[in-house]
Amino acid sequence: MSVVLMSGECQKTETKRDAHVPYYETQGCECEVFEHCYHQKLPLLIKGPTGCGKTRFVEHMAARVNRPLITVSCHDDLSAADLMGRFLISKDETVWNDGPLTRALRLGAILYLDEVVEARKDTTVVLHPLADDRRELTIERTGEVLKAPDEFMLVISYNPGYQNLLKGLKPSTRQRFTALTMAYPVAAVERAILMREADANEALASRLVQLGQALRQLSEFDLEETVSTRLLVMAARLVRSGMNLPSACDCAVINALTDDLDTAQALRDVVYAVVGSKE
Amino acid sequence: MEDRVGLWWHQMVTSWSDNRHLDHAVCLQDMERSIGFMFRAGGGSTHVRVAEASSKNSSGPRSWVEKLAGSGLREIRSIIDSDTLALPKMMDVFDSKDLNRSLYLWLAAHSCVMENTGDWVADNRAATSRALQKFPGLRSAHQKLVTAHLKQRPALDSLKGDRLLAESVVQAALKGEDHGEWRVEPKDVRPVWLWMTMMDSGSFADRSSAQQPEYSSMAHAPKREVSKVRRQVRSIDPDTSQNSFLVISKLDSIRTWSEHIRVDRGQDDDPDDQSTGAADDMDQLAISHNQQTRASALKFDLDLPSAAQDDCQLGAGITFPEWNYKLSKLQPSHCSIQILTAENPAPFKPDRMLKKSASSVRRKLEILRAQPRWQSRQAQGDEIDTDDWIRYATERQAGQTVSEVPLVYRARYKLDRSLSTLLMADLSLSTDSYVNNDQRVIDVIRDALYVFAEAISAVNDPFEMCGFSSVRRQHVRIHQIKTFEEGWNDFSMRKVGAIKPGYYTRMGAAIRYATLRLGIRPEKQKLLLLLTDGKPNDLDVYEGRYGIEDTRHAIKEAKEAGVVPFCVTIDEEAKDYMPLLFGSKGFALVRNPQQLSNQLTQAWMNLAQRT
Repeated sequence: MSVVLMSGECQKTETKRDAHVPYYETQGCECEVFEHCYHQKLPLLIKGPTGCGKTRFVEHMAARVNRPLITVSCHDDLSAADLMGRFLISKDETVWNDGPLTRALRLGAILYLDEVVEARKDTTVVLHPLADDRRELTIERTGEVLKAPDEFMLVISYNPGYQNLLKGLKPSTRQRFTALTMAYPVAAVERAILMREADANEALASRLVQLGQALRQLSEFDLEETVSTRLLVMAARLVRSGMNLPSACDCAVINALTDDLDTAQALRDVVYAVVGSKE
Repeated sequence: MEDRVGLWWHQMVTSWSDNRHLDHAVCLQDMERSIGFMFRAGGGSTHVRVAEASSKNSSGPRSWVEKLAGSGLREIRSIIDSDTLALPKMMDVFDSKDLNRSLYLWLAAHSCVMENTGDWVADNRAATSRALQKFPGLRSAHQKLVTAHLKQRPALDSLKGDRLLAESVVQAALKGEDHGEWRVEPKDVRPVWLWMTMMDSGSFADRSSAQQPEYSSMAHAPKREVSKVRRQVRSIDPDTSQNSFLVISKLDSIRTWSEHIRVDRGQDDDPDDQSTGAADDMDQLAISHNQQTRASALKFDLDLPSAAQDDCQLGAGITFPEWNYKLSKLQPSHCSIQILTAENPAPFKPDRMLKKSASSVRRKLEILRAQPRWQSRQAQGDEIDTDDWIRYATERQAGQTVSEVPLVYRARYKLDRSLSTLLMADLSLSTDSYVNNDQRVIDVIRDALYVFAEAISAVNDPFEMCGFSSVRRQHVRIHQIKTFEEGWNDFSMRKVGAIKPGYYTRMGAAIRYATLRLGIRPEKQKLLLLLTDGKPNDLDVYEGRYGIEDTRHAIKEAKEAGVVPFCVTIDEEAKDYMPLLFGSKGFALVRNPQQLSNQLTQAWMNLAQRT
């Protein structure tokens, strides 16, 4: 479990380019949706393919609404105690130690559970009373009942296309959340992201975006997961630091997408057809 | 002597006129994946399959050597239509492997942006510039291809008249110069390797859906190698008002006829060895429907076992819908499923080797036996174990050395697995073929079922085993081998022994039945394992794309119902269609059928561990 607590001391300005607000390029009306949910005290579920900017979006919005952000990356050993807290031993006594969920409640922070389907289903059930109109958390071990402050917001995300055939959210969990679907950004937005995030020039950004568009046309039976904006940013950064473009794509795109040698060769043919070969 | 000299001359002159470079050839088979990726990455449809192009008559100019050798009469042209991308089986036109390889990739890139306006040269020029825009990295490769190809084209000063005009148009277009208004057809010039011909696919496929004729199939015919060559086909309306030709002498002796002529000829069921050769020689095949069925179709209907011989039928049939992709709709109650069970099966005695392999797999699986438990004495965990804590506190107070990190927590490891599995085995007629000298496919499947059941029963997970085959939509046969409710006992073992090859493979209906069975299980996770040796097919329209699309839809329905489908196949060609059905990670190909029993259980183990 990794818990990231971001500083909440953001300036109260709403400008997007503020140094304290992490960079995020708007794709549609997702920022407004988030703000509406925040003000209406509704929990939010973000669905989207890997590397499309879900986590960055939440960081950006947390800074915009000026609340601290607590991120929990979920995995299959994450237990309810990991979220709520547990007794720890200190000298002769046991001391209650808040988990990220309890801490977020006390701080009035935004709690972001990344890849929530990875967590066991019995773990996500503890979120239920928080995600509906009760907005409270009963900590059985201490008997404490925590009421969520108005500033508290619960955000979860997952990747529906992921090989999570056997997993998935319980309908009772899913129905407690307003849902937002994100996709890979359109060409113009993605170009802007590459130029800003990787400091790529216009030509490089356009070429990589073109590559992204081509690879995303491949169907699910060609590739399990397609190339994400994150991978394109990585390729652009490798180029910026001096690698040539085909080699950068080899490392950041082809080998990142598949282990199968035949698939890698076929991908390489497509990639080189777009960005040029090493010669 | 004359013969020998003639043969020698023929060999010499044909090898002289042969301008292929076999040493540098690249095979289509090796490039299929790259070509497919390229085609789809450029926006080509997922349904287009890559096929081998057939050769066609060429009337373009020939060099004097070719005329002398009598070669160059036929050429292979790359063709794209709505269903297929037909490319030469082997690319050997350039004297460099790289160039031949690039040519394949170029044709894939070129074909996915091809649009048909009727002007062959202009269409190809437009497609070239679109392809270069889409794949800018191909620019230098394309330039090299053009340069190399221009060297191979006939010199303009060697041509006269219309041929000169056509060739100069093509060469100008290849160089990217203005090619003028002159319309050139592919047949007017020597083949242009970098260009495609676009075909409007015939209306044949649509007609067949409207009329839904009952196709006959030669299932009893000796297995012939299916030619993958994509042939150009045109559909012919049989004009029944006209009387057909009376042919007194056999038509075989007329060697140059390629027009469709209605001829009354007795239909024979004997396989015709020459038909493939004849098809190769034709430019276009004319295909028509007639209302007659062949005797072989009749043979099948009679082949169903009589009621006395057949397995015991359990209850009335259940009906299931079927997906028709042409209508894009689910046809309700389209298939009827009969559930059968073997009556008085003979005792099944697995041999020593099989028993051994079953027990080794069983041992392997036993470690999977789910044991949900709390583990105490952990450095961290969900809660404090009071006993441990008291022990720890007293030891410390008594002055004993205690560990820095108190091991007083309890943590829960390994959640209880809640998984039900349904194994559906394909018992079609094709399982009657032999995999080696001693075993048929059905024997391998029988062994696999036995080992699987032995293994799964070791972990106490609920499972069901069925076999399926079909004869048209009205008669889909599900053979119950072991149900969820039954235990794995001597009787179910006998039923495993009693499985035998059935009829056809209506996979969609079988999957829908399995989904229904798994749907009523209380377990949280449901796994459908399909064991097959080929594609979905049946006597009626259920073949080719229809069967694939219906199966795909059934799998989609299964996934929506929370069932995880996984296919284990022994079909060597599975890579061509299985990813489309089950996804690239949704199937396993077992290359050596004797390994089937181990691999089937291995697949189950991997899936169960993923839960």
